[in-house]
Amino acid sequence: MNRRVYLDHNASTPIHPEVLAEMLPYFSEVFGNPSSIHTFGRDAREGVERARERVARFLGVSPQEVVFTSGGTESDNFGVKGLAYGRGKGHLITSSVEHHAVLRACQALEAQGFDVTYVGVDEYGIVDPDDVRRAIRPDTIAISIMHANSEVGSLQPITAIGRIAREHGVPLHVDAVQTFGKIAIDLDAFGIDALSFSGHKIYGPKGVAGLWIRKGTRMVAIQHGGEHERRRRAGTENVPGIVGLGKAAEIRGRDMHAEAERLTVLRNRLIDGVRDRVPDVRLSGHPTERLPGTASLLFRHVESESIVLGLDLKGIGVSAGSACTSGNVELSHVLVAMGVPLDWAIGAVRCSLGCSTTAEDIEYVIECIEPLVRKLRQAMPAGVA
Amino acid sequence: MRYSPTLVDHFLNPRNAGLMRAPDGVGEDEYAGCGDLTRFFLRVRDGRAVEVRFQTYGCGPTIAAASAASELCQGRPVDDLCQLKAEEIERILEWLPDDRKHAAEVAAGALRAAARDHLSRRRRDV
Repeated sequence: MNRRVYLDHNASTPIHPEVLAEMLPYFSEVFGNPSSIHTFGRDAREGVERARERVARFLGVSPQEVVFTSGGTESDNFGVKGLAYGRGKGHLITSSVEHHAVLRACQALEAQGFDVTYVGVDEYGIVDPDDVRRAIRPDTIAISIMHANSEVGSLQPITAIGRIAREHGVPLHVDAVQTFGKIAIDLDAFGIDALSFSGHKIYGPKGVAGLWIRKGTRMVAIQHGGEHERRRRAGTENVPGIVGLGKAAEIRGRDMHAEAERLTVLRNRLIDGVRDRVPDVRLSGHPTERLPGTASLLFRHVESESIVLGLDLKGIGVSAGSACTSGNVELSHVLVAMGVPLDWAIGAVRCSLGCSTTAEDIEYVIECIEPLVRKLRQAMPAGVA
Repeated sequence: MRYSPTLVDHFLNPRNAGLMRAPDGVGEDEYAGCGDLTRFFLRVRDGRAVEVRFQTYGCGPTIAAASAASELCQGRPVDDLCQLKAEEIERILEWLPDDRKHAAEVAAGALRAAARDHLSRRRRDV
């Protein structure tokens, strides 16, 4: 059996054993509906509120400002649409490299009569804050910019963008699904009014996430029903999931900084090791302003799916930047926005490291990549692509 | 990704990959949808393909399909290769998912084109 190396932590992470242990009773003994007033319900409510306090403590905010949702996609939809509907009509600003949860929420708003400006990015995938400033109009009602890009790992200049948003009195939503629990987020210094975060990117469960909403921010619910989450998000709470998210946030508060340092070293070794051995490869995204554990590599003249398949057969899990879906090649919208040429973009491979990644894993991956890419290139007509 | 051991073997150890000097027939096919491209080179003696080489640009199944096709047509009459069907290549690979069927189609198309190219060269020489 091959060694197994998981380098796709930006896609999902394994549940931390302490998180799982905390969740398990909420599947069986503590099963009540948190809205019920009997003991069964109150016990479940206690779990939900403890989790809310843990998330709030991690973010340095009030628990009342934390709303639990079903996932990062819902949080992003809530953040963007909630701000837009809170004002009824107007203009929004986002970037061309956002997650589809934000981009498609914006497109849906456009179909409803809102106006949206999609600001571009530079070669590193980074938004120029001045572009945001220039895009602001008298009727601008919200700005939504991600903290870090999941594909290339580049960090956006949120502090500068937040300052501009504040100067113009425009609320700022930040999709922090890839940074929450990985690097520090100072909500006040960043000037953020709403922040999306998720459980399964930080060793918590899937199907649970949250949106922090600064007190006083005009935000309209996008899901209607009961009075849950202080009337901001209807639906019976996913109690085990929320408990898990709370515990995961608590653990990140304890482990995050040391892990970021460790992963930065491993990530740099991976990038250097591959670049030393493989010709025609380059890093995408910013060389230093990036997520600690993310290395997005572009292999010229090789299809990324071939690399993913070849590494999978060696027990290594990475993700492809371009995908051949139903006979159509889907180039990453992020790489397209960054202006990466086709012959490089088609060979984009993302390696995202996490808590279980070791130095030996990284050496194994470097060893496996070189002969694989060499072999794939041998079968390839020169100059095609 | 769950592919057959045969497909995986062809992907990891492609047979007959590379260029051919002075081939007797060259043909290529492309799947416009995703840009997969395969090119075949044939050496022909007495109307049969005696040596086959290929180059391909595509995902794992496309490389495997070209490799399998290169073995499949060794020694076969060129006239036969003009009729080669993708299903024949797919059978060797045991199975291709629906969104990867084009891998066998591109390989078959490129081989048919190479066979036709040889026949048209021969007609010119007569």
